[in-house]
Amino acid sequence: MKLELGRINIKDVVLSDESKIVNGVLNVNANAIKEIVLKDERIKNVTIDIAKPNDSTRITPVKDVIEPRVKVEGNGDIFPGMISKMNTVGSGKTHVLSGCAVVTCGKIVGFQEGIIDMCGVGADYTPFSKLFNVCLVIEPVDNLTPYEYEDAARVAGLTIANYLGELGREITPDVVEVYETLPISQSVVNYPDLPKVAYVYMLQTQGLLHDTYVYGADAKKIIPTLLSPTEIMDGAITSGNCVSACDKNTTYHHLNNPIIKDLYSKHGKEINFVGVIITNETVYLADKERSSDFTAKLCKLIGVDAVIISQEGFGNPDTDLIMNCKKIEQEGIKTVIVTDEYAGRDGLSQSLADADPLANATVTGGNANEVILLPKMDKLIGTLDYVDKIAGGFDGSLRSDGSIEAEIQVITGATNELGFNKLTAREF
Amino acid sequence: MDNLLVTNNPMVLEKLNSSYAIKFIDVYCYIDVLTCVRDLVHKGHTLLTHPLSGSIKPNETPYKSIIVSKEISTLDMKSLSIIEHSIATYLKFTKNKPTPIYIDKVLLDFQLIDFDIINSL
Repeated sequence: MKLELGRINIKDVVLSDESKIVNGVLNVNANAIKEIVLKDERIKNVTIDIAKPNDSTRITPVKDVIEPRVKVEGNGDIFPGMISKMNTVGSGKTHVLSGCAVVTCGKIVGFQEGIIDMCGVGADYTPFSKLFNVCLVIEPVDNLTPYEYEDAARVAGLTIANYLGELGREITPDVVEVYETLPISQSVVNYPDLPKVAYVYMLQTQGLLHDTYVYGADAKKIIPTLLSPTEIMDGAITSGNCVSACDKNTTYHHLNNPIIKDLYSKHGKEINFVGVIITNETVYLADKERSSDFTAKLCKLIGVDAVIISQEGFGNPDTDLIMNCKKIEQEGIKTVIVTDEYAGRDGLSQSLADADPLANATVTGGNANEVILLPKMDKLIGTLDYVDKIAGGFDGSLRSDGSIEAEIQVITGATNELGFNKLTAREF
Repeated sequence: MDNLLVTNNPMVLEKLNSSYAIKFIDVYCYIDVLTCVRDLVHKGHTLLTHPLSGSIKPNETPYKSIIVSKEISTLDMKSLSIIEHSIATYLKFTKNKPTPIYIDKVLLDFQLIDFDIINSL
């Protein structure tokens, strides 16, 4: 499958009477967005606001971050099975509004969602402080269940991202990137001397605010399967999870997965990148055994020499991570695992809740227990009602001067396990 | 009813009592569920769900629900290893900061998340 990603560099975002892109400036008509979002009868109100890099602005509680994209040529539309008809994507041409994002916020439960600071020390920990963000603060109708609220907010974010992406349909991209994955039989002929490498992409799948969707299917119900990396760039995987925000993959992360990008950059030179195996992180131990058995079997059947395995989350998924690593290694296939750490505030405790000697090549996205003092911001998008109750926050963490003392796990994407952040640890 | 659900979550007790045999522990603390499950594993029950399910950390939520086999067999070392690692993880987190006392609205939300993990199985 071959996909051309045309990136349109967005240099600014402004509120305007008409939604359009002019000379790289994204004009957003808030009333038009409101009208689209309020078509969903589950939503009582939506407030649209813009947050720019270096603004003294805090966005919280963040539910999802989504990059606007539009399918220009080829099968299907963006986010198939979710907001567009089911159709296999990943071929043709897609336009991307680079440098901006839709951020959804909503108090779905009384704790947990993340923080994006647009300036200050907290901004260094999240990649989303570098984007022009169109923020949607979504309020549900009275007595809406958390399940319905989560679904409504998720769909609203994807729909508006695609609405903004449509504005780039006729615009000539600033940069065009081409990604291609051939059938494995062909790829092996093309690169007979290069090691065959696959990417095992673990998806968080444990229930309300812990779910991920593949072509609209709840990923906890899938058995591991093979995707072309380009399908993911077209929105085949979407996020429904934001609990403990530091190491959860937003939809933006899925669309811009840096492991996929790096594997493609080495494809045909150092390695033969043959594809992505997606798998889940379930609660039943028997389901974990099934998924890791199937993942290892798929790796063997497609005949790879090595895999990169990325985790999402901590605790329960540590067991999935180690099962995957161990079983794939036992097939004679080399593994590198990508995770993050909960090593205590002093960094001295054991980092993961599971381990195995075969997990001997590990990349970390940082220690989520690290404590940070986030300064007061002049503007708040969302609410601070529950900051004391979000992951990593603690009693009194919201100080009277507006600053917040908390673990970095409150920050969206701070210890991302795809490596979409700046933190790591190195052994010399 | 082939399995045994160990929980301290009142919402799980109320909504799932017709689906599972439930051992309800009427205390606020997560660790009591973990130690109860560890004792059951020592008696020969097999662990069926991961004790650290959910992204809410063990020192953040007071609620935990874990399913073990009703059937008693020989000691399952894999189950023992997982529950012991989970207890060690709990102790690590609570050393950083004990579980706060929450307002009722937040407690209900924690109950809902824990309930949904089991109900989604």
